[in-house]
Amino acid sequence: MSDAGEDSKIGSSQWVALCMAADVPDIGGLRIELEGREAIAVFRSGDEYFVTDDQCTHGNASLCEGDVIEGEIECPFHRGMFDLRTGQPTGSPCTVPLRTYPAELRDGTIYADISVKK
Amino acid sequence: MNAQPRMPLLAPYPELGEAPIPVEPYLSQEYYEAELNKIFRQDWLVVGREEEIANPGDYKVKKLDFARTSVILIRGKDGKIGAFHNVCRHRGNKVISETGGEETFGNNKAAVVTCRFHGWVYNAKGELVDVPMQEKFPSCFNRAENGLVPIHVGSWAGFIFINLAKTLPKTLDEFLGGVKEHFEGYPFNEITHCHTYYAHINCNWKVGMDAFCEGYHVPTIHAGSFPGLTDYWQDDVAFHGDHRSIAFYSSDMNPPTPVGTAANELFGASIALKRDEPFPLPKMVNPKRHQNWGFEQTTVFPNFLIHVGAGLWFTHQFWPVTQDKCLWEGKYYLRPPATNSQFWAQRYAVLLQRNAWLEDTATMEDTQQALLSGVLDKINLQDDEIMLRHQFHIINGRVTGK
Repeated sequence: MSDAGEDSKIGSSQWVALCMAADVPDIGGLRIELEGREAIAVFRSGDEYFVTDDQCTHGNASLCEGDVIEGEIECPFHRGMFDLRTGQPTGSPCTVPLRTYPAELRDGTIYADISVKK
Repeated sequence: MNAQPRMPLLAPYPELGEAPIPVEPYLSQEYYEAELNKIFRQDWLVVGREEEIANPGDYKVKKLDFARTSVILIRGKDGKIGAFHNVCRHRGNKVISETGGEETFGNNKAAVVTCRFHGWVYNAKGELVDVPMQEKFPSCFNRAENGLVPIHVGSWAGFIFINLAKTLPKTLDEFLGGVKEHFEGYPFNEITHCHTYYAHINCNWKVGMDAFCEGYHVPTIHAGSFPGLTDYWQDDVAFHGDHRSIAFYSSDMNPPTPVGTAANELFGASIALKRDEPFPLPKMVNPKRHQNWGFEQTTVFPNFLIHVGAGLWFTHQFWPVTQDKCLWEGKYYLRPPATNSQFWAQRYAVLLQRNAWLEDTATMEDTQQALLSGVLDKINLQDDEIMLRHQFHIINGRVTGK
């Protein structure tokens, strides 16, 4: 996701401001703990930002401690991989998709719709 | 007029004796195994420098052939270093493959290591934090009981030590004793630009130690690399329990060649260099502040030699592999070069030193082979070889219990 355009959905009730884009590290991701739900992760790949669950779907690892490699996140435990855009597993041993969230950048702030869809 | 004693270094230490020392400790399998059991599996051993694993999640795997193991040193998120046997608690695979040979380095931002066989994950405290398909293990399986097998670990002056004993005979502080005070203030942590050489040598580990513990060999074997170093002398003998120190002086330390002179003007990276600028030293190192002081050597028992000079330091370590084979590691430390010309000057000095070390190590296999002939049952030591004599007495005392 890059800068939000005119079709921004940030105004809707499910969207929250997560962090400043400048706070997202160059290496790994920014883990954000929120009350009443699992921690989420904000990653940057190139000039795009992505918001996903932080916990790997395979082992009990924080993906923020992994490496972002050209739009994919590599888990620090077993080197399994996910596509940050779709959440689809792209490297063994991961088989269960990673939950991803719509996100937008506006005025240096990362916003995301972190509602969990059934 | 009082005559200078014939053996001025040895004279204050009559307990070390003057007689030749036996050859048996260099050849006997039984003696070697006693050294492993009573010394190497009991004493603290240097296995690295803290700056080698400076950041959380940095790890180093070091092979220890004599103990048939390798050790994982890993810095946790809390900055503390843990040491563990590199053995997975699942079925005993090496958690980290030793792809780097004697020393393998890596980093994991989660500060974990993962066995590549079935994916068991351990944190920097050795705790087993993830087991793929754990639900398939029987109910008696308990993750908490299956962490990595720990090894005692400690640090002094940036040196990382381990101790393989199950129950510690001494704390690291007790083990080091006077060595800590001896080196108090030496800037090991500032002079960290390291040049490393190593080789497997077909000799008993003590043959290697011996070759670096005296200056008697310098005018002869180093006539090629250090032709100016003919007028040397040794002084400042100090024994710190099992450890020992001695200093080396020379009246002619100037480099003999124009290129050596040029290199030394750019960066004082050579030990064969007379320095005009004062360099702050611990008060017990070159205590008389003698202008002809070259460097001092301290043996941290059993197998680690630290040499400190003005603005540079270097180490040798001899690891037993078998009774007649050892691993030599030579490391030469300088401040990082600030310019390309300093880089060149450092390389020049380090290569000169490497040549000298090649001259030293080239004698070792010849020595072992000659001893193996069985022709000799004892060897002769002169006053300058007092460190060898002390080494023999300490090791022999530990091995024989006398």
